[in-house]
Amino acid sequence: MIETRGLVKRYGSKTALDQIDLDVPDGAVYGLVGPNGAGKTTLLGLLAGLRKPTEGTIVVGADPSKVGVLPDTPNFDPWLTAREVVELARSLTTSSGASDRVDEVIEEAGLSHDADRQVGGFSRGMLQRLGVATTVVGDPELLMLDEPSSALDPMGRREVLDLVSRLRGQATVLFSSHILGDVQEVSDTVGILNGGQLLYQGPIGDLLVGHATPVYTLRVRTDPNPVAEALRGELWVTSVKVSPPDTLRVSVTGVERAEQAFAAFLADSGVPLISLAPEAVDLEQVFLELTK
Amino acid sequence: MTLWRLEWHRLIRTKRWLALFGVYVFFGFLGPLTARYMNEILDSFGGNLEGAVIQIPDPIPVDGLTQYSANVSQLGVLIAVIVAATAVTIDAIPEMGVFIRTRVERIANALSPRVVISAAAIVAAFATGALIAWYETAALIGPLPAGDVLAGIAYGAVYLVFVVALVAAVAGKARTVLATVLASVVVLLLFPLAGVVEEVGGWLPSHLVGALAGIPAGIPASDYLGSAVVTLITAGLLLWLAARWAAAREV
Repeated sequence: MIETRGLVKRYGSKTALDQIDLDVPDGAVYGLVGPNGAGKTTLLGLLAGLRKPTEGTIVVGADPSKVGVLPDTPNFDPWLTAREVVELARSLTTSSGASDRVDEVIEEAGLSHDADRQVGGFSRGMLQRLGVATTVVGDPELLMLDEPSSALDPMGRREVLDLVSRLRGQATVLFSSHILGDVQEVSDTVGILNGGQLLYQGPIGDLLVGHATPVYTLRVRTDPNPVAEALRGELWVTSVKVSPPDTLRVSVTGVERAEQAFAAFLADSGVPLISLAPEAVDLEQVFLELTK
Repeated sequence: MTLWRLEWHRLIRTKRWLALFGVYVFFGFLGPLTARYMNEILDSFGGNLEGAVIQIPDPIPVDGLTQYSANVSQLGVLIAVIVAATAVTIDAIPEMGVFIRTRVERIANALSPRVVISAAAIVAAFATGALIAWYETAALIGPLPAGDVLAGIAYGAVYLVFVVALVAAVAGKARTVLATVLASVVVLLLFPLAGVVEEVGGWLPSHLVGALAGIPAGIPASDYLGSAVVTLITAGLLLWLAARWAAAREV
């Protein structure tokens, strides 16, 4: 759906994006992750045609009228009602004047009770939800959402994430976020952007398996420090951290090797064991690994 | 809801129409009144200033429109610039600019209603004020030929369309409403200065400002035709630049 090659954006001497080769597959929910200043908004601006690249090419496989764009802090003329804003968005993106779709997205955004209120009095969270409504009302084939849940309370955030999840199969979604849990929850494909460079992109499952250092949590019914010393002597162990009174976090070189070696180590050393379990790898861990 | 209706709402709900019509209608009433009663007004302040005596000739009908024209050429145009700037500065709030820009095929599609509705409202306010001034002049001082006044209004309308086009072009470069207003006012102030050069003055847009009073005073309407043509061509060029600059801007 989206393909960029050698995309560069410079502001004077500052390089905001450097040689970005982005591939967003058709129908994907693509999460673009990165810290503040990584270049996420710049990249979305380029893809939306709001900015011009310094170098490189962009191919977007959807008609511009079928692309919905949501900025990170949506804002509207304060003297319009929420319904008028959505009606305007609808009229600009489709020739169909069906008002039931307008009502539908207003309800999905949780704004039915405020539909006829002027948006000047809306909170930031309400504006964000209204922005989502204006983005989906034109039944887009491609949605680009910049930090869509950043301004929302937990309930609003949940609604937006559910909305993004529901769009799977109906539209391609590219959304940026620095909330890694959100990306891990709803994305099937992820891109990690840092300092204007795309450090990784691909299926999120591959990323979690392939990039995080596997870690096991070992609990023993004895002093953990001698156990830690013994583990540090093993070739398949990369580091050991002791968390008193009984826990050790053991980083290993690989899952397969550790699965075999751990059992042998415990049997040979005769350590009284409480539990041994692999730590769940999450996106945050991988992100920190890649960006450190 | 369409972009045209959006502009209509902007004019009505934000009370911009009230500011526009308020100023032009006020001067429409005030112009002939001050022309008719200037002697009495001066007398009420004493009439005799440290021995100096101010003598003003008896008013003639064209004085009513001269007063109106002088008043609206300053404050009226300033209000017109502000009203136009608030409409055509699409990216004044960048997120609102993004909303519009990502939903129109060409930025000109978004600019057109803003320019047309603003210009129509400004011209309507100017014409309303001028018609009030004309009627009141007839009632207080004496009648003026309808054809001359209507020709003057038409030339004034051309000038105001040019003003809106200028503001739209400036907005293509300036990011804020304030910057657009200030830059537009500076450019508009340059025209009368350039008009001091006799060979040039008769061709400038600012020459049209005097048509409302000039034609009833005896200046042939055809004397303003050259300026009107130049003004319309310039306005068209400015609108083309406005669309081009707005399209080139990064948000």
